[in-house]
Amino acid sequence: MSKSRIHLILVVALLSALAVPTLAQTVASKGDEAKLIAVLKNADASRKDKIDACRQLAIIGGKDSIAPLAALLGNEELSHNARYALEPNPDPAVDEALRDALGKVQGGPLVGVIGSIGVRRDAKAVGALTKLLNNSDPVVARAAARAMGKIGTAEAAKALQTALPQVSDANRLDFCEGLFRCAESLATGGQKNQAVAIYDELSQLDSPHQVRGGAVRAAILTRERGGPKLLRQYLQSKDYILFSAAVQAAQEMPGDRVTKALLDEMKNLPADNQILIIQTLGRRGDKAAVPALLDAAKSGAKPVRIAALATVTELADASAVPVFVQLLDDNDREIAQAAQMSLATFPGPEADAAVTELFAGGNTDKQRLGLDLMGRRRMASGVPALLKAAHSADSKVRPEAIRLVGDLGGADQLPALLVLLDSVDRPQDLAATEQAIATACTKAKEPQAQADKLIGRLSQAKPAQQAALLRVLAAVGGPNSLKAVRAAIDSDNAEVRSAAVRALGNWRTADAAPDLLALAKATNDVTAKTLFLRSYLNLAVRGEMATEQRLQMCEQAKGLIQRDEEKRLLLGTLSNIESPEAMGLILPYLSDAGMQQEAGMAAVTLAERLLKGRGAAKLAAQLVEPLQKVAQTSTNSEVARRANALLEQAQKRGNRKQR
Amino acid sequence: MSEKKPTLSRRAFLGHTAALALPAIVPASVFGRDGAVPPSERIVVGGIGIGNRGTSDLQWMLPERDVQFVATCDPQKQRREKVKALVDTRYGNNDCKLYSDIREFLATRTDIDAVLSTTGDRWHALAAILAMRAGKDIYSEKPSAMTIAEGQAVVETARRYRRIYQSGIQRLSEGNFTFANELLRLGYLGQVHTVRAHIAPWDAAEMRHDWLPAEPLPPKDEVDWDAWLGPCPWRPYNSAYCRGSWRNHYDFHTSCIGEWGAHTFAQCQVALGLWETSPVEYKYVNNDSGDGMVTTFANGVKMVLERDMNAKIWHGSCGVRYEGTEGWVAIADGYSKPEVSNPAWMADFKKLVDDYCARTQRPMSHMRNLLDCIKSRRQTVANPVMMHRSMSTVHAANICMWLKRDMKYDPVKEEFVNDAEANRFRSRAMREPWII
Repeated sequence: MSKSRIHLILVVALLSALAVPTLAQTVASKGDEAKLIAVLKNADASRKDKIDACRQLAIIGGKDSIAPLAALLGNEELSHNARYALEPNPDPAVDEALRDALGKVQGGPLVGVIGSIGVRRDAKAVGALTKLLNNSDPVVARAAARAMGKIGTAEAAKALQTALPQVSDANRLDFCEGLFRCAESLATGGQKNQAVAIYDELSQLDSPHQVRGGAVRAAILTRERGGPKLLRQYLQSKDYILFSAAVQAAQEMPGDRVTKALLDEMKNLPADNQILIIQTLGRRGDKAAVPALLDAAKSGAKPVRIAALATVTELADASAVPVFVQLLDDNDREIAQAAQMSLATFPGPEADAAVTELFAGGNTDKQRLGLDLMGRRRMASGVPALLKAAHSADSKVRPEAIRLVGDLGGADQLPALLVLLDSVDRPQDLAATEQAIATACTKAKEPQAQADKLIGRLSQAKPAQQAALLRVLAAVGGPNSLKAVRAAIDSDNAEVRSAAVRALGNWRTADAAPDLLALAKATNDVTAKTLFLRSYLNLAVRGEMATEQRLQMCEQAKGLIQRDEEKRLLLGTLSNIESPEAMGLILPYLSDAGMQQEAGMAAVTLAERLLKGRGAAKLAAQLVEPLQKVAQTSTNSEVARRANALLEQAQKRGNRKQR
Repeated sequence: MSEKKPTLSRRAFLGHTAALALPAIVPASVFGRDGAVPPSERIVVGGIGIGNRGTSDLQWMLPERDVQFVATCDPQKQRREKVKALVDTRYGNNDCKLYSDIREFLATRTDIDAVLSTTGDRWHALAAILAMRAGKDIYSEKPSAMTIAEGQAVVETARRYRRIYQSGIQRLSEGNFTFANELLRLGYLGQVHTVRAHIAPWDAAEMRHDWLPAEPLPPKDEVDWDAWLGPCPWRPYNSAYCRGSWRNHYDFHTSCIGEWGAHTFAQCQVALGLWETSPVEYKYVNNDSGDGMVTTFANGVKMVLERDMNAKIWHGSCGVRYEGTEGWVAIADGYSKPEVSNPAWMADFKKLVDDYCARTQRPMSHMRNLLDCIKSRRQTVANPVMMHRSMSTVHAANICMWLKRDMKYDPVKEEFVNDAEANRFRSRAMREPWII
């Protein structure tokens, strides 16, 4: 080998080596183009490096890369990669290179070059592509047809139309695709007459259903002023494909003429076809259709009536509201339900008024329906009527009316709800009022300010009302609420005391925990102690706090735990704390004869959680020993089976982690 | 060539007679058989590229009484045969036909009304386009397009041939996620200013460009490697790709952003009513995943990408969180119920979901929604435009991470503003003969 050749190889190898680090990136820097080109030219560079270079030149390649890439277009191994780089390069020289390749490359690379010309919409290539429409290789002919479609000029369309009558069955779909694309492009460019001619031709071909249907839709849409006339023609078609294509076109056409055509033709059609038209009238949003749709809703075939009700709701014309109300009493249950649904979702004050009127009537069933509709409509305007009903309505209606005051109203209704609380006696009404107050407080912008209003009423309230207020305070939370609940623990009244304890147990934040622990420590009453511990441990599971704090709470509770029932509470709590330390607190109970089964259950439950969690890979090894212990000691076959299955899983994951 | 319609076995027939009781509102000609089949009888379905995920979809589809699954197409023999075994066992016959070449499958099985396509990501858009061009309706798994251009082509093809298309963004048909969307739509949250979309907490936006070591090419009947690669650049065969190790390779995948963003961006855009557009701004974040990237829609609402490594926002996968002036809602997989700022809203759960189903005529079953729409020709919940626009958001976020700079996007022109390099990423040249 000559010195100069060795020198050349070294230089190219050096350039290639410099380029290699960039080849692993998605985007090379612009300054790397020369290095990437050098890789392409290097006969010794690997196929992988050349493919990587092409990928990067797709993003940064400029004029200099075009010729080296074009030189690869005939290369069976790299032709696609060369196109990968050339296709997105906006330089017009790429088009010249691809056109030039048309006459030189064969087989797969030719198909690829044709495709890239299509993507780039190179109108200058139409002549050369036209010659390929008759190529003996069907793959080439099809590719040419599709590419000419992408180019989409009148010249391309004409060539495809000329070729279409002679095209083989196997190639026809691709030629139709090419013509569709041309027509779309021509229509977008303002040459609508040419586009319409293409669609008409396609719709009348003996071609697959998707071509005929697609062409009919497009032929109607592209005609613009002439569209409605053609629409009417196809609405009368016995061929459902052409009929449905016409209806689909109508969805996309504005104007009264279209609505009129749909309404005129609908009358004479079978129910199936009527439904399709009715749904389309809704999607068109033309309110001129409302009277006809209301007629259709009142009588006729049930599926058509239901479709009409749904559609007239979609059109949101207030004239429909009385018909909805009328149809609530329809003999057919499905029609009545459809009318309810329409009233529930129909927008605007007219429907609100109709629902309020329904609620105000003397019929209990209608009142309950009115309540349901108020809720579904989120009808804040109904709140005054609801408050009135809270004092006077039928006992079946009253609780739901009270609840809705909270749902639909807000903090503004709180004074009225508090007055109501003082006056209600029935447990259902009391519970509803409590729920409404809780909802109104939690919805308020400053819930704790609302809670202060509740605290102010505690001292004057009757025991049942006090208990309700305490439960609301637990839902709202905050330091003042906690203080009030804490004070109520010392109430003389048992109902209030019990509610205060439960309120503490339902506290969402950890600030209630010290109180519960202190109460558990202080009491001599076994039942009360269990209650306090249960609430305390509930908080350790449900409260918003870090895992470490949960564990700390369990440690503190452990010191108080003596009875089996209390141990079960602790084990249940620990099985819910996703931490290996929780497992450490469970394990000693495996040696406790009375607790062995519960401890085994708690251990496998916790292990299942840990092995499903995010840190499973890290924790798996730590779980092996505890699970072995459970598997060996458990007398419960199901627990042992679960432990063994988890053990296998933990061992596998642990080993994988070690690898 | 038209193939004779497969006859039903007695068992299958009995299983399908109930379908005849469905509302008789759809003439059979809508199925492309020009009136040859009685109304509402059944939808004849074929499969494309059904693997693990696809098997779940198939098992979801097979119990539907108006479906008859008749054939499957896959370049891998083992997968083809697995599907056949499952389907034949279900129907108690030996009728499920097998195909290795998608072109032959689509050209000859003119009796098939719809396809279930659950290939790897690289094939999703291409398979959908070829199937729709052949007159089939389709369920296409996510992420349903590898590039912005592929998404556009799916939209154009569906529109051109009036096809029904459902992307596998199934959370759009789940109660918890629907409830969250309805809370937003109905104003419970007040004025929504920010939505948060979960991205996969593994992998990165930058993907692999290396090749797995070459292995001897198996016989074409076992694995048709050229067909497996489809439109992607050639690389040597390695069996691991066929077992799912194509993930995280640039040629085949849409990164940690697309893995979950295909779901969560769609959820957010549908909830906001912005599923026919895309964000106009993408703010680059200097990390490897796109975590914290803020994208902004033209109306000012922000969608933030969240990796949520420490589970501060969600304790499940594929989460979304919507934040407004009056409150927030968060939901992810595995939640028994959505998390809400106001617990009182939960009382409306059933009501809101039921009203949504009635209002939209969409059931809480993604597969059922497709089957219903095949009959009614209504738009599906995960229709082509929605898929394309949410996947455009995925692609734009990825491109933003690859180019490491802020970007502006024009959703009308569907191009990046004054960024020629970014615009080159909008498409990738397809490998012959897999060119649309």
